[in-house]
Amino acid sequence: MRKLFFSLSCVLCFIIASAQHAGYSLTTDISKFKQEFSSASQKMQSIKSDFVQEKNLSMLSEKIISKGKFWFKKDNMVRMEYYSPFQYLMIMNRNNVYLKDASKESKVSTSSNKLFQQINKITVDCVRGTALANTDFNFKIFESERNYLVELSPVAKNLKEYFRNINIVVDKKDYSVNRIDMIEISGDNTIINFTNKELNATIPDAIFIIH
Amino acid sequence: MQPSPMRYLLFISCFCFLQACSSLYSNLQKTETDKNCLQKFKPSFTSVLYSAKADVIGKHLSGLLIIKKMPDSSIRIVFSSEMGFTFFDFEFRNDGSFEVHNITKQMDKKSVIRTLKKDFELILMENLKNKLSYSFKDSAFVYTAFPQTKGVYYYITDLNCTQLIKMQRASKSKIAVEAVMQNYINGIPDTIGFSHNIKISNFDIGLKRIER
Repeated sequence: MRKLFFSLSCVLCFIIASAQHAGYSLTTDISKFKQEFSSASQKMQSIKSDFVQEKNLSMLSEKIISKGKFWFKKDNMVRMEYYSPFQYLMIMNRNNVYLKDASKESKVSTSSNKLFQQINKITVDCVRGTALANTDFNFKIFESERNYLVELSPVAKNLKEYFRNINIVVDKKDYSVNRIDMIEISGDNTIINFTNKELNATIPDAIFIIH
Repeated sequence: MQPSPMRYLLFISCFCFLQACSSLYSNLQKTETDKNCLQKFKPSFTSVLYSAKADVIGKHLSGLLIIKKMPDSSIRIVFSSEMGFTFFDFEFRNDGSFEVHNITKQMDKKSVIRTLKKDFELILMENLKNKLSYSFKDSAFVYTAFPQTKGVYYYITDLNCTQLIKMQRASKSKIAVEAVMQNYINGIPDTIGFSHNIKISNFDIGLKRIER
């Protein structure tokens, strides 16, 4: 009887875990995923892509759609340039972040701002494929026929105040990131979909320079 | 006998103090106006997106601000960063009540929430229903005043009420904030600005409408 109860509980847990993400089931062989993800990310020198960002305001039934271009270059350089419906530029270059909106330019040192440092690390980890090694999060891996879904749950107290989960959808074909979904405590979320990806394209360092 | 410099100083200080205490609007003339004329400046927000920038006590924030009228006629104002992170989510209900649904820890201060609440109340113009309003004028402008529990909201138009020049929230002696709403298109201002009169630093907010 106990065995039956235990088996049923295991099946139920598996069903609940799988039901969290429609079309995905919980991955059983995590070490295989980690190994292949890590191996692919080691070969990934750069990423150039377009992106569409969708901010969902759940209670307002509203979506704010913005578009831009994304560049990543090893080890630690990211450029996100929004061009529609507003202009905004963010460059992360090692420990520095440069922000430019319509009226002002500013520089932030991530070493002096812990939250920025963590968000910087999440972004870079997500695209570089090292998110699983980030100790600020616990993770679960799900998979569908075409993709893996990495569900990151914050452990660090200050991140817990902002995010419920961060879900990263990884393409099984080349282990590149297709989508990042940041779910806030309020239930609002921001999805960034990456399209027209060019892996290992030549990207000059100059576009990451912070003046 | 010559008065001492100290006496001069005392006299000047007293004069400045009395000047400061006298009403900012005491030179204006009382007038009767059609209060309904302000209704045409009340923004008809349905769901409007603004590019927003705020300079708050030495810190610069930028992002997107959405103002949406909900089916129950309440108004939600949500400010988020360009990258999607929510700074605040406010609700102004039809019965005059106010709720903070979400606010980032850095902004979660009574004084900041109170200031933002009053700023948005000023531009939402829901207080036009207040029957205790009265008007003043000078040679160029009409000032229509709507007394609140603390302070007064002033809507300043040209003499013929064809243009909303600016809005003010003020006590008897001091203007706390000045706001403008300009370039109305289909009842919605294209540009909104707030400038606060704070001695220690600046506290300015600028909104520019974004077409979606």
